[in-house]
Amino acid sequence: MLKIKNLHVAIGGEEIIKGLDLDVGAGELHAIMGPNGSGKSTLGYALAGREGYEVTSGSMEFEGQDLTELEPEERAAAGLFLAFQYPVEIPGVNNAYFLRSALNAQRKARGEEEVDSMTFLKTVRESLKGLKMDEALLKRAVNEGFSGGEKKRNEIVQMAVLQPKLAVLDETDSGLDIDALKLVAEGINAQRNAQRSFVVITHYQRLLDYLAPDHVHVLSDGRIVESGGEELAERLEAEGYSFLEAASEA
Amino acid sequence: MSAILNKLAPEADLADDRYGDIRRRAHQRLMQYGFPDLKTEAWKYTSLRVLEKRELSAGGASEADRPGPLPFEADVIAMANGLIDPDALNLPAGVRLEPLSPADLINLDYGDRAGAMAWLNLARFEQAWRLVIEAPLARPLVLAMSTSEDFAAGVHPRLQIELSEGADAVLIEQQTDRGAGLVNIVEDVALARGARLRHVIQRRNADSVWVQRTRVAVSADADYRCHALDLGGRLVRQDLSVHLLEAGANGEIDGVAFIDSKQHVDWHTAIDHEVGHTNSRESFRILADGTGVGVFNGRIHIQRGADDSHSDLNTANLLLSENARINTKPELEIYAEEVTASHGATIGQLEDSALFYLRTRGLPVEQAMALLKYGFAAAPLENAEPAALRDWLTSELQTVL
Repeated sequence: MLKIKNLHVAIGGEEIIKGLDLDVGAGELHAIMGPNGSGKSTLGYALAGREGYEVTSGSMEFEGQDLTELEPEERAAAGLFLAFQYPVEIPGVNNAYFLRSALNAQRKARGEEEVDSMTFLKTVRESLKGLKMDEALLKRAVNEGFSGGEKKRNEIVQMAVLQPKLAVLDETDSGLDIDALKLVAEGINAQRNAQRSFVVITHYQRLLDYLAPDHVHVLSDGRIVESGGEELAERLEAEGYSFLEAASEA
Repeated sequence: MSAILNKLAPEADLADDRYGDIRRRAHQRLMQYGFPDLKTEAWKYTSLRVLEKRELSAGGASEADRPGPLPFEADVIAMANGLIDPDALNLPAGVRLEPLSPADLINLDYGDRAGAMAWLNLARFEQAWRLVIEAPLARPLVLAMSTSEDFAAGVHPRLQIELSEGADAVLIEQQTDRGAGLVNIVEDVALARGARLRHVIQRRNADSVWVQRTRVAVSADADYRCHALDLGGRLVRQDLSVHLLEAGANGEIDGVAFIDSKQHVDWHTAIDHEVGHTNSRESFRILADGTGVGVFNGRIHIQRGADDSHSDLNTANLLLSENARINTKPELEIYAEEVTASHGATIGQLEDSALFYLRTRGLPVEQAMALLKYGFAAAPLENAEPAALRDWLTSELQTVL
């Protein structure tokens, strides 16, 4: 599904990702953990195609396509979704209208029929219900006046409606209380299947307790320095990231 | 600017009709004060020099296509190339249209050169109408002002709009210019005690120079609300002043102007709290693209003794290209006590982070930009009622985004 080889990404000439390798197969959930400043969010933005995040060498392939050659909207239509760490407020743009426009733009780009408003509303209402979100949010402007937790849950609603092949979730757990965290985890688990893959970027183990990742990677200074199973996340939680330094000194 | 004066106001052409004395007096004032130029404070950003290059004919009675139909039932008064044909009207009950008498036009004062266009109108109007709305209207009344493609005249429509006590109306000025002349409107609106007016100004102009001066007088407990959607033109200058004359008067202005290349739109608004216990609110947004130029000057004046008045003025502006320009200025003058008055002004560009967010959801860049522009511009239109009116205004807005 996603093959990243020796990826280097620079922002404003400063290299942040320094030779990252990652191979995500269909249906797999990979967790990427790491301390602040290790390059986690940069990886998410580089995958989604944010301007200013320059791939200086290496490659990112998504289902055999070179991602660097695609615009952000083309990546979305190809099936890539990024849940933002800080979802953006769009004043004046109705949430439901936005989401349906986005869905239909993707479908159009793929040569599929547009979705009528009844079908759309049915899907989005189910997602909202699952995440215990008020339907009134559909009539509000995108993320405007949403609480931190509502914004994060809204990202999961968008994911559920857009049905990506690969979802990159950038610290979707940060700022959530334990109840909201469970809802978000359930929302993610409800979307898991044998085809859909996830890259879950997180600081903490607690979300992973609910998600049971297939692979856990530790990102430090722009590289993956350790990979393993769930036990790696537990070790990080117990020992903190300081063991990385010990490992690199050894 | 005397070149313009000689061109626009040759004394020999002054009509000698029953308004003759009024015309001559207005003409004298115009000659005495002269035309505004960029040194005239109220005309600092808007030059009328384009008129120097135009060969304007006198207003004739040529036909003009009506503006597009509205998606709701309405009664229509058509004004083609500045003229209303009274025989073609079919007015609803409670609405009258009649010529103004000379007595209606004495003791008018438009001040010095800043008011030159109003003096010019008074000297040279072709028709002067009083539109009386005496009762609540069941459906909107549309003043469909249009010009034809061959329109190259200078016309000076003059309207006095009166709402009687208890009247309640939606009046839509649907302005569609297709020509390259001069339309110089003077409009006086008066709301009697307890009257309600929703005044829509929807404008989509071509190359004409369009100058409109609208003065609104609001009596006790009357409610005036302006909803403006200005989709630009070669040169538009709109003065809108709302005078809150008695306690309980309310005045609100919600406006959006979208200005594209080779267009210049200047809105000067003023809300005057002449007595206490009066309220006002204004929200105005400008989007300027290409080489478009937008000007907004919003003045709130709370006079001495107008205590316990409340006012809020907000203007937000969006520059969509490097070559677009917007000059915006909120002005608060408060001479009373126990008032609340707030104002805010912002000027900015589309946010990259918002654009990227929308694109990551699959929206192509053009569509994402249109959505952001719409989100910015639609806010002031949200207050328009009824819903059918709001939907029409927002759909008109979408046609230019």
